[in-house]
Amino acid sequence: MVVPFYDVYVAQEEQMLQFIESYPPEFLAFFGGMAAINTPAGFLNSQLTTLPVVFGIFAVLAGSALLARDEESGRLDLILAHPVSRLALFGGRLAAFVAANIAILTVCWLGFCIPLSGSSMDVSWGQMALPFVSTFAVVLVFGTIALLLSMVLSSRRRAAAAAGAVMVAGFFLSGMANLNADLKPIARALPYEYFQGGYAISGLNLVWFGGLMAVSALFAALAGWRFQRRDIRVGGEGNLGLARPAFLSRLRRASL
Amino acid sequence: MARLIYKIAPVTDTPAIVVRRLTKSYGPVEALRGLDLDVQRGDIFGFLGPNGAGKTTTIRCLLDLIRPDGGTARVLGLDPQADPVAVRARVGYLPGELHLEDNLTGRKILRYFSALRKRKVEWGIVHSLAERLHLDLDRPVKNLSKGNKQKIGLVQALMHRPGLLLLDEPTSGLDPLVQQEVLALIREAKADGTTVFFCSHIMSEVEAVAERVGIIRQGRLVEVADTAALIDRALHHVKVRFQAPADGNALDGVPGVTVLAHDDAQNFTLQVEGEMDGLIKALAAFPVISLETTRPTLEDVFLAYYQADDVAAEDT
Repeated sequence: MVVPFYDVYVAQEEQMLQFIESYPPEFLAFFGGMAAINTPAGFLNSQLTTLPVVFGIFAVLAGSALLARDEESGRLDLILAHPVSRLALFGGRLAAFVAANIAILTVCWLGFCIPLSGSSMDVSWGQMALPFVSTFAVVLVFGTIALLLSMVLSSRRRAAAAAGAVMVAGFFLSGMANLNADLKPIARALPYEYFQGGYAISGLNLVWFGGLMAVSALFAALAGWRFQRRDIRVGGEGNLGLARPAFLSRLRRASL
Repeated sequence: MARLIYKIAPVTDTPAIVVRRLTKSYGPVEALRGLDLDVQRGDIFGFLGPNGAGKTTTIRCLLDLIRPDGGTARVLGLDPQADPVAVRARVGYLPGELHLEDNLTGRKILRYFSALRKRKVEWGIVHSLAERLHLDLDRPVKNLSKGNKQKIGLVQALMHRPGLLLLDEPTSGLDPLVQQEVLALIREAKADGTTVFFCSHIMSEVEAVAERVGIIRQGRLVEVADTAALIDRALHHVKVRFQAPADGNALDGVPGVTVLAHDDAQNFTLQVEGEMDGLIKALAAFPVISLETTRPTLEDVFLAYYQADDVAAEDT
């Protein structure tokens, strides 16, 4: 729908601009301004702003459930009683998670590309892929945060809620930072700030992309490290709380 | 009915399970407090204890599902923490709380587990086990009763012909006929060299199949013995009816014998600890009309351990 809508926009640009200008300037600033909306990059940017949040919801839910779902349901106990290492299981699930995200974004990318042939939008399929590559990098960070938290917090739901909060906070802070420059440093600490949106068709920021992928790799590595070392939970036996130093456990037992 | 032939995959000639000073705590709760345990290869070993005694924790340590705080464990000569995959390749495990993917059929679940074992499972064995346990492999798990889910758990534990079976409440939820079939499968596994380590609350089934039993209490092993010897060591109750009034004091003096009650000088109820030989010889001096002994069960032994501990706890 987005690509055909560009042709409608171009055909009625004057009326559209008047319509857009009727919005409060703060609202337009929140979404990065509409100065370049008459260009394919600017138009796509206005339409793809929420893409990382939409796909991020899947990434957060899937990332938090990647291992914790089977663990909470008691199935992981039986799976890991078979000759498969924790590292192999973790790696396999992570690969499936990455593949699922790529598959979903690829379908979405194709949905944008197929109407291009009949559109006045002068964008190649390769260029059109770049906003989705940027989305993938951001979404992967959200997913791996959720995965890491699911290895640390006491429940999958808490992990999803915390990772979801990071995602939503990033979205709003990035928008608010366009209105209040003081918020920019905080927004820069969150992944959403490094989403290029439609402007990616002019060239992917490889530093941002590489940085996001590196952060994802770090979170995934930490999650894998934690999964390798901790107990597999079963109903009624302990929890996934952060490791408590042994002397604290001894002190607590002594006090009981 | 096909009899299953089990392959044995010995790594070394060491015992199947060796546990030394194993400790494990969950926060303030000490689940294992220096557990020592040896299970010889080819044995059927019954591991007894009430809920929370540390049975499941022991099994999960042996499979490296949880990491002990201290001590060592060896399974078929292998260190579960250093080489968990090799241990699990040789072990069949049935958890006490079995959870399976609801939307899959038994067949698909077993194919998945077979894939985890690099398809080293002979599908003929799966079908044979399913037939013996009256398990329909093509029904979705969500439509199965607890007992039928348990059968899938049993098949996945047995299907790769493991060298060691770790079974946590293997007959839970099964009807009596299938329970008997499961005990037969355990005996067959043992006959073919598989070591069986199983936890159960059903003392009669432990007594029926286990050659040795270990009793665990609050994370410590309080007794390990041959099942028969343990029962023989337990207290027997004997009812004696004499032809003529007899002197109860003569029986009271027999080593290991306590007179519990006598309705009159002809009917006595005695408690005998250990062998009956002393009592039989003492009774030979009297004309006896009838002699009735009640053989203690493993349950009596188990309860005696825990009641003795409870009394000791109350005294302190």
